[in-house]
Amino acid sequence: MNALLAQFLAEAADLLTQIDEGLLELERTPGDPELINDVFRAAHTLKGSSGLFDFPELTRLTHAAEDLLDAVRAGELPLDSGMTDDVLAAFDLIRGWLAHVTGSESLPPSAAADAAVLITRLRTPIGGEAAPEPTTVEPGRVPAWLAYVDEEWLAATAAWLRTTSSQMRFVRYVPDSGCFFRGEDPLHLIRQVPALAHLDVIEPIEWPADHDEYACLIGFVFAARAGAGEIGYLFRYVGDQIEVADLDGDAIQRYLSGETGEALKVAAPASGDDPDLVTEARAVLAAALHALTTNPTGSAHLISVANAITNAAHVLGDPVEIREPDVVTLTATVTRLLGDTPPPEEPEGPGSVDDGGQVGSRILKVDQAKVDHLMELAGELNVAKNSLPFLARAAEEEFGSRDLAQRIRDQHAGLHRIAEDLRAAVMDIRMLPLSVAFARLPRMIRDLGRRLGKDVELVVTGDDTMADKDVIEALADPLMHLVRNSLDHGVEPPGERRAAGKPATARITLDAIADGDAVLVDFADDGRGVDPARVRRTAYDKGLIGAVESRSLSDADALDLIFRPGFSTAEEISDLSGRGVGMDAVRAGVEKLGGTVTLRSEPGGGTSIRLRLPLSMAVTQVMVVSVGGQRFGIPVDLVAESVRVPAGEIGRVLHQDVVVLRGEVIPVVDLARVLEMPCRPDAAADRAIVIAGVAGQRVGLLVEQFHREVDVLLKPMEGLLAYADEFSGTALLGDGLVLLVLNLKEVLGLAARVG
Amino acid sequence: MPLELGDTSATLTGVVTVDEVEPFAAWLRGTAKPRVNLRKCNHLHTGAFQAMMRFRPKISAAPADSFLAGLVLPLLEGSSGAPIRQESDPS
Amino acid sequence: MTETQPKVLVVDDAATVRAYHSTLLTEAGFRVVQAANGLEAVETALTTPFDLFVVDVNMPKMNGYTFVETLRSDTVGTPAPVVMISTEDRPGDADRAYAAGANLYLVKPVPPERLVRIARLLTADRVAAR
Repeated sequence: MNALLAQFLAEAADLLTQIDEGLLELERTPGDPELINDVFRAAHTLKGSSGLFDFPELTRLTHAAEDLLDAVRAGELPLDSGMTDDVLAAFDLIRGWLAHVTGSESLPPSAAADAAVLITRLRTPIGGEAAPEPTTVEPGRVPAWLAYVDEEWLAATAAWLRTTSSQMRFVRYVPDSGCFFRGEDPLHLIRQVPALAHLDVIEPIEWPADHDEYACLIGFVFAARAGAGEIGYLFRYVGDQIEVADLDGDAIQRYLSGETGEALKVAAPASGDDPDLVTEARAVLAAALHALTTNPTGSAHLISVANAITNAAHVLGDPVEIREPDVVTLTATVTRLLGDTPPPEEPEGPGSVDDGGQVGSRILKVDQAKVDHLMELAGELNVAKNSLPFLARAAEEEFGSRDLAQRIRDQHAGLHRIAEDLRAAVMDIRMLPLSVAFARLPRMIRDLGRRLGKDVELVVTGDDTMADKDVIEALADPLMHLVRNSLDHGVEPPGERRAAGKPATARITLDAIADGDAVLVDFADDGRGVDPARVRRTAYDKGLIGAVESRSLSDADALDLIFRPGFSTAEEISDLSGRGVGMDAVRAGVEKLGGTVTLRSEPGGGTSIRLRLPLSMAVTQVMVVSVGGQRFGIPVDLVAESVRVPAGEIGRVLHQDVVVLRGEVIPVVDLARVLEMPCRPDAAADRAIVIAGVAGQRVGLLVEQFHREVDVLLKPMEGLLAYADEFSGTALLGDGLVLLVLNLKEVLGLAARVG
Repeated sequence: MPLELGDTSATLTGVVTVDEVEPFAAWLRGTAKPRVNLRKCNHLHTGAFQAMMRFRPKISAAPADSFLAGLVLPLLEGSSGAPIRQESDPS
Repeated sequence: MTETQPKVLVVDDAATVRAYHSTLLTEAGFRVVQAANGLEAVETALTTPFDLFVVDVNMPKMNGYTFVETLRSDTVGTPAPVVMISTEDRPGDADRAYAAGANLYLVKPVPPERLVRIARLLTADRVAAR
């Protein structure tokens, strides 16, 4: 993909987010002029950038939305929710197209048809299909296409225009090649231009050999004394195909005598009142100042700086003459010029001139893949560093050099610190605010609310809390399930709410807070809450629990049932959340991140759900154990302790090995058996048992030997092992061996099946 | 019938529409020294005009229509429609 | 083509960007010559005088900084204005550009009308001198 397109896609994604957020914000504070302006600007920028590429539907659709927003901005009509829906739909469509563009660098084939529907809807409130704006050449500039006009006629016309002090309107009309198919006849249009004075044709430089008669390959330049309005009206459906320039006799004369229109423009006096040009002039001066700080010595360089300053000074209406350019003189001149002229009114946007980086913070946009790669390298450095203790032991045991071993250990300590700092620094780059994960929710709540006829207000706090981007990304889906579930089942319709003495508008709160190595996300609604009795009944009806359990379960445990796969409290499955995924998907998603989900509810008073997530999941600490001669990793955060017990202390209760630890009976799982590893334990030796906490339950894992704890970079399982659920991933150890890291939950499930 | 195609000469009558473009262009392409009579032509579809720009037939009779006679005919009779002052395509 | 039109050398390895900048400048009335990297650009600049250089930063064979340094060195020794346009804004890039001899360092995307305005502004003295 070319860089320009990649740039556009990145820019477009940002703009679409701005538009979405702005529109939703506008629904809360309707008519806020600043918000409308922001949304309009974003749409405008998107349209402008899209014009660089051959995505006509994209440009047209954005243009239609921009026109509607412009009318709102001008106060011509208020933005109602129907219009908001249409604008949102337009940008949703565009978002989909951009995904297609990312893959194929083209719009999907359906783009034209899809765009047409929305364009009509967007244009309706502002009086139907508006004229595409004809391009008007800035006054005084002679367009290059004047070259197509017969020179003799131009000369005669210039003389006559000068005598009468009048202007002639020149129009370049380049119909698009498919115009005949749409029933357009450009010559017929031109025929209708009032007071048409001259016509010239733009022929292709070379006629294609197999020229299709129905492709329009020519264009026209004509001159007329018609009014701008008349031409605008006549060409209202093809306004984007014409460019208009109003020229007087002097301009044409200067053109004929060889001066370019461009030179005229710059040489024009009082150009200081063109704000854009003033901005550029100041940018050039700032750049000159920056260049001067590098202490240029070459004469070519100094002269170029002097020339740039002279040109800028001219634009600022404060001409300077620099005779002998040297750093001191030039610096003084620039400083004076910058000080004398007022700065441009609007702050410069992105892509503006670098003025030395003194203003504001500098933000670097980096491709995510690069940061991921850096993270990987930092992780590998960490792992490589872990090989030093092995080396130290080898130095001591195999080569008998205690000294060398100590020195290696010292090196390891130093390297360890640097690697840790590096890891922390990279992690910090990867940190994103939770607002990223929350970004889609306002929109979703609004859309769902409208579909379900429920009024919902979202209150977000703590969305500036940071977490690793992997966590943020993985959090998006669980949050969406929560929202769906809440709107479907929790939030009551306004009537029911009023009857219950609640405000008609429901409130969903989303609160994020950092808690040590974890981040807590509290999601709460003030809906009808979850009724434990009803949950018990449903779970029993669905065969999730037996009759005894249904009676013995505490309310809190009953509520937890809604996280079981196959549970859904809604009698009918709605098209919104009843897609076979429910709260079980939330729990699965969060647990996959190494987090937990808990639910509290007050019947009639609402539901609150707490997600607890690790701040980062890039590097995992694992405890290495060996089983049947092979090493495996167990995530350290699951390990409560490791104990050695005499073989005789392992008892057996109901076909289950158990060990009694400080009065607690803990079931013991023989990892060798579960993993089908060969194992011939020495009957007399002590047993090594890792006590782990899995799903709120303590369990002992019988292993052959404990090893140390290491930091590893967990990689997902690939290839043949991809379906081996008992492993959560692989990691490279310092000594080059690949470590399989156990997914304890699956391992225990497997153990139960193995029996 | 707006289009009468002979061995070497064609006569265009009334309004020449997009329907006449294809046969007219094919005739121009296949005729060695084509001549076109525009006297009774009231309008020339852009496609037909484009075909004439490309194959440059001799105009045997000028159109009576003022727009065609005053503004279009000079282009059809001009030696070349190439830009006068510039080599590159300024579009 | 008239000799009074300012002449620009557009140096960029990305063909699309090069074509895009060239089209913009041609439409604005500049005569445009293109080069795909610094080395090619030096060869062109040695044989033809230019009124303006629009230069990308990251290019194969010879990057933009080296090219601009060569322009300002005695090898070429031209005081013509140089606009450097970078795709990525890394810290220090602007310093390098200005030290090499650029007159303006911009970061993409540069709006088309802005590029044209800047090109006109920087070449105004050269056009007026004709």
